[in-house]
Amino acid sequence: MKISKAVITAAGESQRSLPLQRVIDRDGVEKSVLEILITEATQAGINDIGVVIHPADEEAYQAVISSQSAKITFIPQAKPLGYGQAIFCASPFTAAEPFLHLVGDHLYVSRGPQGCAQQLVEIAEREACSISAVQATRESHLPLFGTIGGSRLPNQPNLYRVSDVLEKPTPTLAEQHLIVSGLRAGHYLCFFGMHVLTPSLMTILGDQVQAAGPNGNATLSAALAVLGKQEKYLALQKEDQRYDLGEKYGLLEAQLALALAGDEREEVLARLVNLLAK
Amino acid sequence: MSELIAIITSPDPEIRNRPLDRYCQQASLEQLLQDAADLDRFRRESSNLYEKVRALFFLYAIHRFHLPTKGISRSSKIPFEGVQLRLKRRFEEAIDVFLHDHETYGASDSICSALGDSYHNLGFQTLADQVRRSVRSSRGNQWMFRIGHSADHPLRIRPELVKRSDEGLYPLLQEQTPVRMDLTHSGWSDIFFLGMDFPEGARVINTSVNLAVRGADGSDAPHPAKPPIEAFFRVIDEPVIRLTSVDLNASATIDSLAEMFDYARDYLGLLKGAVIASGLIPAGIEGAHQPLSDLLNKVIGPGLGFEVVSHVNGIPKGSRLAVSTNLLASLIAVCMRATGQTASLTGPLQESERRIVASRAILGEWLAGSGGGWQDSGGVWPGMKLITATQPTENDPEYGISRGRLMPTHKIFDYDDVSAETRQKLTDSLVLVHGGMAQDVGPVLEMVTEKYLLRSEKEWEARQEAIALLDEMVELLADGDIQAIGEATTRNFFRPITTIIPWATNLFTERVIQKAREKFGEDFWGFWMLGGMAGGGMGFLFDPAVKGQAMLALQTMMLEAKEELQDGVPFAMDPVVYDFEINEIGTTGELKGSNEALMPVAYYTLILPDLIRQDSRALSAGRRAELDAFAAASRIQPEMNGSIGALFDQLLPKRGPETDGAATLHQLLAENGFDQDQHEQIRSDLISGRIGIAQNRLPVNARIEDVRPTDVIDLADEPTESLKQMGEEALRAGRVAVVSLAGGAGSRWTQGAGVVKSLNPFVKLGGSHRNFIEIHLAKSRQTAAIYGTTIPHVITTSYLTERPIADFAAKISADPKQRLDLHVSSGRSVGLRLVPTARDLRYAWEEMPQQLLDEQAQKMQDSAHAALIGWAQGAGEGSDYTDNLPAQCMHPVGHWYEVPNMLLNGTLAKLLADRPQLTTIMIHNIDTVGANLDPVVLGAHLKDEATLTTEVINRRIEDTGGGLARIDGQLRLIEGLALPREEVEYELSYYNSSTTWVEIDQLLALFELSRADLTDDAKVAQAVRNMAARMPTYITLKNVKKRWGKGQEDIFPVTQWEKLWGDMTALPDVKTGFVVVSRERGQQIKEVSQLDGWLRDGSAAFVDGLCLWE
Repeated sequence: MKISKAVITAAGESQRSLPLQRVIDRDGVEKSVLEILITEATQAGINDIGVVIHPADEEAYQAVISSQSAKITFIPQAKPLGYGQAIFCASPFTAAEPFLHLVGDHLYVSRGPQGCAQQLVEIAEREACSISAVQATRESHLPLFGTIGGSRLPNQPNLYRVSDVLEKPTPTLAEQHLIVSGLRAGHYLCFFGMHVLTPSLMTILGDQVQAAGPNGNATLSAALAVLGKQEKYLALQKEDQRYDLGEKYGLLEAQLALALAGDEREEVLARLVNLLAK
Repeated sequence: MSELIAIITSPDPEIRNRPLDRYCQQASLEQLLQDAADLDRFRRESSNLYEKVRALFFLYAIHRFHLPTKGISRSSKIPFEGVQLRLKRRFEEAIDVFLHDHETYGASDSICSALGDSYHNLGFQTLADQVRRSVRSSRGNQWMFRIGHSADHPLRIRPELVKRSDEGLYPLLQEQTPVRMDLTHSGWSDIFFLGMDFPEGARVINTSVNLAVRGADGSDAPHPAKPPIEAFFRVIDEPVIRLTSVDLNASATIDSLAEMFDYARDYLGLLKGAVIASGLIPAGIEGAHQPLSDLLNKVIGPGLGFEVVSHVNGIPKGSRLAVSTNLLASLIAVCMRATGQTASLTGPLQESERRIVASRAILGEWLAGSGGGWQDSGGVWPGMKLITATQPTENDPEYGISRGRLMPTHKIFDYDDVSAETRQKLTDSLVLVHGGMAQDVGPVLEMVTEKYLLRSEKEWEARQEAIALLDEMVELLADGDIQAIGEATTRNFFRPITTIIPWATNLFTERVIQKAREKFGEDFWGFWMLGGMAGGGMGFLFDPAVKGQAMLALQTMMLEAKEELQDGVPFAMDPVVYDFEINEIGTTGELKGSNEALMPVAYYTLILPDLIRQDSRALSAGRRAELDAFAAASRIQPEMNGSIGALFDQLLPKRGPETDGAATLHQLLAENGFDQDQHEQIRSDLISGRIGIAQNRLPVNARIEDVRPTDVIDLADEPTESLKQMGEEALRAGRVAVVSLAGGAGSRWTQGAGVVKSLNPFVKLGGSHRNFIEIHLAKSRQTAAIYGTTIPHVITTSYLTERPIADFAAKISADPKQRLDLHVSSGRSVGLRLVPTARDLRYAWEEMPQQLLDEQAQKMQDSAHAALIGWAQGAGEGSDYTDNLPAQCMHPVGHWYEVPNMLLNGTLAKLLADRPQLTTIMIHNIDTVGANLDPVVLGAHLKDEATLTTEVINRRIEDTGGGLARIDGQLRLIEGLALPREEVEYELSYYNSSTTWVEIDQLLALFELSRADLTDDAKVAQAVRNMAARMPTYITLKNVKKRWGKGQEDIFPVTQWEKLWGDMTALPDVKTGFVVVSRERGQQIKEVSQLDGWLRDGSAAFVDGLCLWE
């Protein structure tokens, strides 16, 4: 399985402006969030990227892309019918091929030289199946994320076979269905905002979008839950960090994390200390 | 390996189920001691819950029932260190201390009693710990104990609930829940531990029912039955939690986390428990010093809070329909729905959700300090179902620990299992009632567990019968044969149930059954005991053709039976009959918006008076919108009719019964010789601190020593033949009379219910239920028959007991077959209870040794104590306690007065006139059921030529409250109240049995009277006053019950004073002898929980042997 396309969703009502924000990346260069996400995809060897946006946003998005390293296709989501429908809007673009999916309101900071998406894409190609990046997350954050239940694959560090996916579960439900052995008590594997998805997912999403009708509440998690029952679906536990820019101080935290993981760490630290000392 | 360990560990049921008693009866003392040592080692090493607990109960039974019969030493000191550890619930360490003495000094009755008690407690503590661990660690509940900060709260309110209507009202989420009716519990097999240890035997058939109390509106017309439990949830626009229990007339606005966890502060403990068990306020956050508003902000939104309201439609307490557990479940369900913990906001729940609700109801019960069985949340499920215990799987917290799981499985019967026609036939035939009796089922459940673990022979056979009966019941339900079901449930009650627990039945229930049988003959199909014991909620099956008539008749029959027995049997309320139907939905939710979003009418009647008194500008917008909606609805909705009138009643209470009660109280006090001067003196002494609980004690420098062997006559060591002859001669000559002291209220017997203990028909002897007086009279009858004489028998009374006892005495004296010479001595002294001082309450609860409770129960108790101290201060320390029924405000002034009363009221004069040869009386407490005119003891008294001879027994650990001591060299009885240090009590070998033999003439001389003076009232009165002045006055706290609402009861500690007969032995001019008697003879039955042991250790049979029944 070869992955050559990526889909970034950025049409959500509350996240439309987030990918346009400018931050200083690890190398000390000022970029838009969208550009950083594109770089994440290109590092994984993907040069054909679709960005799902609100129909009114194309011009603004076009304006923040300076890099010519990838082919960018803007895909308008005509009506705000939810996250699942947004991904489904990209189905003509993905055209029955597997694709990498990133969410436009997250930034990812890897621990090593390899990008977060790169490792995910490599494993997906090796295992020839859908795979979601997940992270051990405290139960107090369950209202924010899709969460998986599953079992660890033998001799495959950090790889899990997914048996169940629930969108923003209550801890009551999570404890009954999503406990993964080997994690600390009260921790669950929650989505990292990064997936490699096979064409079957688009088929399932299509069904769900249709079933949801004009109110549109199809979720990626519900589709993934079905996918896990139909075909091999794995999760990769990441030690890297992801930052949700939509949270209060989310952008600030992401900027600090990028800066502290980059070449100008010392300078940023010194400024922080200075700020604290005032 | 000990054979007993083999019994515990054997996989073969034949061996596992062998009764302990059979083995112990044939074992020698040495063998049993060795077995006990092996078992103790075994239970320490085993990690298996069942093995541990069964070994503990074996050890308890060996020490309590078997070793004392094997000729061990009768007496030794009980080390106080062990007693203290036991009070702190550190039973494991207490056992080590007792075992050390046991091994060092050899087995003795005293130490065996201490060990038996500690093993028993440790057994139940181990079980309770396991239930707690299971419920905390079951999946879906664990997270609640990990959340320690508001910022971590993982729940969010459902968005539908924060959308206001155009009128400004938040929507109202309503849960409606039926209660559960237990068709057969297979010998209380729904007790958690039975399910966890014997899953194959733990099965019940449980039905969800809707109810209406017939005649609640004063009419006999049938009422539409509906789910009796309603729980409501609404978001409010203030950052607080409002809890309201409509039935208990209680409402609170909570603005701190600490208050949320203060369960016993008010009547809202159950609601608090439910909100916490639902996860809305996670249990782990207890003690976190954070504002409640932060948590509410996180879960609901800034500036918002929520309101939870409970409403039980008229079902009284003690209905045996698991109202409180299902109410808890209903409240938990509504809170879970509100926070997205159920898939659907409305409609019935899914099976997995019902299971979570049920498991959280168990958690809530533990938090709020109540308890139930595992079938109790059955109302959450629909219709009829078979609930069975289940073996744990790998994911269960019980896996590898116990044989069964805490949570059972529910198989809902479909219409193939039990047809719709059968369900209808059952509804048409069954009359559900509440008999009105107030009972505590707790001791019954402990007894069941104990007997199960010991595999006591006939109880174990009865259990098999009860288990088989369930299968029979399933078949009968399938066949639709309701008449046969009636026969089976009756058989169940009279055979297995009362074999396992004789106390499950009572005279009231049997009388009502008898009346139903007499009136309806063949049309009465059977009796059905619901839940823990009979007397409260019960079922009667009739031919459907007569059901309507039977409902009316049962109401009358139960009322008649109540009136016949209420002097001696505690009733919380008048009996009621229900209309009912099977609920086929289970718990269900509904979301009400706009103007429909109103609470029950009674809610507004409760809260409106306070709101009206507030400045309307201070009300939040949400409250104003709600009141507008209520005002509009009350104009147009028919069910709101009368709400305005009710509101006015609440705003301006009518002249209440309290005012009338106060008038009656003063009248009663005057009639009973209340001494106002003495009362004022006591009040002033109490308030100033001259008297009080701390002042009851002897000075700390008093030298208190145990008696020497020569101080007492131990009848076990004496040659008794000559004593017996002396006694027999006196008896034949008619020189002896009996006085039973029955003036006391017996407050420990019914926890202050205010009935006459001596008339409580507590045990079946000679084929019938007998009360204390009947037992004492039967002993006199036997003595009279043996010695060919009549025995004058005096029952002393007080204002509290006089009328009922006199009525009872008149009834039996009128019957010539009774062959009795019975006299009732009326009370001449009465006190008025006082609101206690905070100083005394604190002293009693904080300074004196108290039994530490289980962790959560202790928390509850501490909180209740704080509330009661607040009550005392609010009501006025030392003020008259008048806020109750008159009889509950007055108090008898101690049994010392009961003997002088015989002088004052002429009873003694009459006895002596009728029978001049009378020289000796045996005075005994009504509790001392084994005391009779034993010629040997009488002979010992006569031979000693003492004025008084007091009987004492060897101390066991449960014997607290003083004893026989040498105080500054003088041999005398000392009351527990007067002991300056707690540890002194356990240095005293002998305990007072409260039986005294008195030489009449010597006693009169002590009062400076002669027989001739007894007719001189003034002289007698002065003599009694003089003697009373020589007796110490003790201040005590008594718990009194105040009943209100529908079977609700509160217990208040009140202050009273008393003078006690035992202090006569302290008078230096009285020659007193002390005789050691056997435990069967000397033990006192103070509490209902003692009865089972009393029956099993042969004491009841001993008493029966002393009786000649009419």
